[in-house]
Amino acid sequence: MNINILHNHFHFTCHGVAYWEDQKALLIADVHLGKISHFRKYGSAVPQSAIQKNFDRLDEAVKEFQPQKIIFLGDLFHSALNMEWNLFESWVKFQSAEIILITGNHDIISPLRFEKIGVEVVPELHMGRFRLTHHPEKKEGAFNICGHIHPGYRLSGMGKQHLKLKCFFQSQNQLILPAFGEFTGVYVMKPNENEKVYVCTNTNVIQVA
Amino acid sequence: MENKLSTKKQLLTVAEDWFLEQEWKPFTFQKQTWKAFLSGKNGLLNAPTGSGKTYALWVPIALEILKEKQKAKQKKKGLRALWITPLRALSVEISQAATRFCQDIDPTITVGIRTGDTSQKERAAQKRNMPDLLITTPESLQLLLSSKKYDHLFHNLNAVVIDEWHELLGTKRGVQMELALSRLKTVSKNLKIWGISATIGNLNQAKDVLLGPAGKSNENSVLVKAKLKKKIQVESIIPEKMEKFPWRGHLGLHLLDEVVPIIKKSKTTLIFTNTRSQCELWFQKLMEKYPEFAGEVAMHHGSINKETRLWVEQAIRNENLKAVVCTSSLDLGVDFAPVETIIQIGGPKGVARFLQRAGRSGHQPGKVSVIHFLPTHAMELIEAAALQKAAKNTVVEDRVPYLQSFDVLVQYLTTLAVSEGFYPQEIYPEIKSTFCFQALTQKQWKWCLSFITTGGESLKTYDEYKKVEIEEDGKFKVNHRGIAMRHRLQIGTIVSDAVLSVKYIKGGYIGTIEEFFVSKLKPGDVFTFAGRNLELVRIKGMQVQVRKSKQKTAKVPSWMGGRMTFSAQMSELLREELYDAAESVHQTNAKKSKELKALEPILKRQLKESIIPKQHQFLIETFKTREGYHAVFYPFEGRFVHEALGSLLAYRISLLSPISFSIAFNDYGFELLSDQEIDMQQVLDNNLFSADFLMDDLYKSLNATEMARRKFRDIAVIAGLVFTGYPNKLVKSKHLQSSSQLLFDVFRDYEPHNLLFQQAFTETFEHQLEEGRLRLALERINHQNIIWKNCDKPTPFSFPIITDRLREKLSSEKLEDRIQRMLKQLEK
Repeated sequence: MNINILHNHFHFTCHGVAYWEDQKALLIADVHLGKISHFRKYGSAVPQSAIQKNFDRLDEAVKEFQPQKIIFLGDLFHSALNMEWNLFESWVKFQSAEIILITGNHDIISPLRFEKIGVEVVPELHMGRFRLTHHPEKKEGAFNICGHIHPGYRLSGMGKQHLKLKCFFQSQNQLILPAFGEFTGVYVMKPNENEKVYVCTNTNVIQVA
Repeated sequence: MENKLSTKKQLLTVAEDWFLEQEWKPFTFQKQTWKAFLSGKNGLLNAPTGSGKTYALWVPIALEILKEKQKAKQKKKGLRALWITPLRALSVEISQAATRFCQDIDPTITVGIRTGDTSQKERAAQKRNMPDLLITTPESLQLLLSSKKYDHLFHNLNAVVIDEWHELLGTKRGVQMELALSRLKTVSKNLKIWGISATIGNLNQAKDVLLGPAGKSNENSVLVKAKLKKKIQVESIIPEKMEKFPWRGHLGLHLLDEVVPIIKKSKTTLIFTNTRSQCELWFQKLMEKYPEFAGEVAMHHGSINKETRLWVEQAIRNENLKAVVCTSSLDLGVDFAPVETIIQIGGPKGVARFLQRAGRSGHQPGKVSVIHFLPTHAMELIEAAALQKAAKNTVVEDRVPYLQSFDVLVQYLTTLAVSEGFYPQEIYPEIKSTFCFQALTQKQWKWCLSFITTGGESLKTYDEYKKVEIEEDGKFKVNHRGIAMRHRLQIGTIVSDAVLSVKYIKGGYIGTIEEFFVSKLKPGDVFTFAGRNLELVRIKGMQVQVRKSKQKTAKVPSWMGGRMTFSAQMSELLREELYDAAESVHQTNAKKSKELKALEPILKRQLKESIIPKQHQFLIETFKTREGYHAVFYPFEGRFVHEALGSLLAYRISLLSPISFSIAFNDYGFELLSDQEIDMQQVLDNNLFSADFLMDDLYKSLNATEMARRKFRDIAVIAGLVFTGYPNKLVKSKHLQSSSQLLFDVFRDYEPHNLLFQQAFTETFEHQLEEGRLRLALERINHQNIIWKNCDKPTPFSFPIITDRLREKLSSEKLEDRIQRMLKQLEK
């Protein structure tokens, strides 16, 4: 699905990635890498085959858009360093694009480690009239793109039918991206009239509000 | 030989003399049990609450301790007897009874209690010097097994008694107990195992589960039955004017005024409600409308703090209370002699439960137990009539034991690994000897071992799974302190759902509440809890901080687990009653029960819109409302069977053409609701009630609905996949929190062969859907004439079902199509 914001073109994918055509940048929020390993390390046997899925999806998005920049909007890693770091490190090696991480509340791994493997770490990013952050922010004169919330939307219809899906959530000066990571939950948003909601299905992105 | 016999005789004389001193006469079942125990037998004692069952077993246990004490100069170390009770509220009572006897025969025999309520200090003191008899819960026993050198502790153990075994039997706590017993049989040299059970349908099986299906313990055992006839009288509470009776609802508050004279007439009344929220509401309304009861009426349920609960229990004994509004928390054991009257609000859902509650009054042998039944809506009047029959004919249900509960097994194995460690070849035969795991295969056993050591799969290089380690000599052991600690905290959580403790901001613990309810509240919201109106200030960690509120109206917490189902026996009684009602409605001068008379206006209304099905008829009603197209089916088979039938039928219909359903069900029938009209003629033409391919279709419909997913929640907690923390303990585990829902999806997508994931399905089949009952129901339906009524509006029968909010979903439509249609409906 294609969206225009301040004359810039964005493409939303069903996995919850936004591709910013004008900047050739891939925007990805809340991957929570290492969550499964973290659980396993503490004795909870979550299937480890699920770990690979995040990387497969990242590869899929990179292949589709061939971006020059890959920007993670925070919470790239779920917790402290674990073996999934090695998987990430080898994934980074194969990327030709520049990789930037905007730190989130879960990112407790030292920035030095990221820089060592060629990932730039910043608290926030200004690109023209856009401000990219992890936590949602409201600042005059800037359009904020962020993550953190894990937005979701609840649809209801006749016959007591309900659907809960992850979504992109757009308000007047803000775009909140859905969480990219497998094994993460959603927070249900209640939009008002000026706000827009784009839900992700398995194959599509559909505007519902 | 002769010498030994005379000793046994002498011992029995000690007991009989003591009974004489109390001016009691031992019952036959008590004497039978004494003799069997002293001859070294294991067994199951079938005796109701308040019949003197504690003395049936405690007497011979104490006598044996007495004998040994006199024989040996030196006191043997460690525990001599364990008394397991499913409810910690019962432990005080048992301890008092036990102490009363041993104080007279030998004051050096000691009795102690160890439950979740026991202080850290007391626990430590017990560890140093164990009492002769320890009264404890299944969870606390598991905790003892998770402590170092537990084998020394139990080495001299002579007897284990599992009280209220029928309550544990059909639960996973029962499995926990089976496993613990399998270990005790090895570490305790001269162990006798006894269970005490109320009357259930499968007493012989109950004994097999307790002692293991084969083997020495079971061979050397007896079943003792106390043949005490207890008279039970059932009275329905029905108002003079019938307009008052609502079509639906489960609270019964409209009959509040009818209850008051009953309370006033008797010494002490127990008012049983089905859920904790109902209990809160009844207490609140009673106090509001009858302030004169202040101080004389109390409330008792599982979420209220221990001090209050104990106070209430003591006050009942001291005859200080006119009435107590309670839940199943007062179902068991405790002998409240002053209780004269029982009131049951709403359907008790099971005959055994109802009879047990009735038995809470008139505890003295020979007295008639009176129970008043208060129907909360019109349809429950039929239930009332059915219950009267049940009480007359003493129909009781089976308790179905769990099989192959891998979640409990991996928890137990981890427990052993936490304490002393274990060698698989030693433990395997013990586990195979239990009822639950008699069919355990080598392959499944290997899987369980690999699950706790490597997380269930072959290790990959980057994996850091850590739980149980295999030491050089092959011993399975937990060496990591953090893992051991988290495991111990988790042991008590077999009762699932995360609970938070409720506290005043200024301090002061009020009780516990399910996370599910709190998550729906915002700061500033007022809710009723423990009889008070409280304002939510904030949620901090595992604590809900509140302050008192003066606001009158408040939300009432809904606790999960309130939804019970009719047993097969109850359903049958109910159907019979209904067929009678169908016949009687046309007869003017027939002798009708009070209940049926009260029901008449509603039956007439039902007849106007539709029919009342007779024995050979199966009724389907369809109608349209603002909500969509309703199809309501009435098998009268109980909630669980309806849940299965509903999903099965929805699945089969969804194969005919893409459609989405919302499914509701209660004990009378189920409803399929859709935004499209359901082609009922097609349903009938295609014979969708067929029992062919039943399991296959059911399995597929399970995948499509939430049933297995819900079962998985408990499994994930018990198996240690989800860490819930523990009430009152702030555990820094934020990064370890996840919902079992997410886990379910991950397993489904990546590891569908995981035994724990599979277990969610088998449990749904065996314990929820009750395949056997389902087949019988389908057979019955296939022999009935299907009567399809296209009605103008909802009928009285349909009303309680279509207004039920707890629903299943099933859809065969594409997600995109559903979204598009929902959007279109919005535009209209």
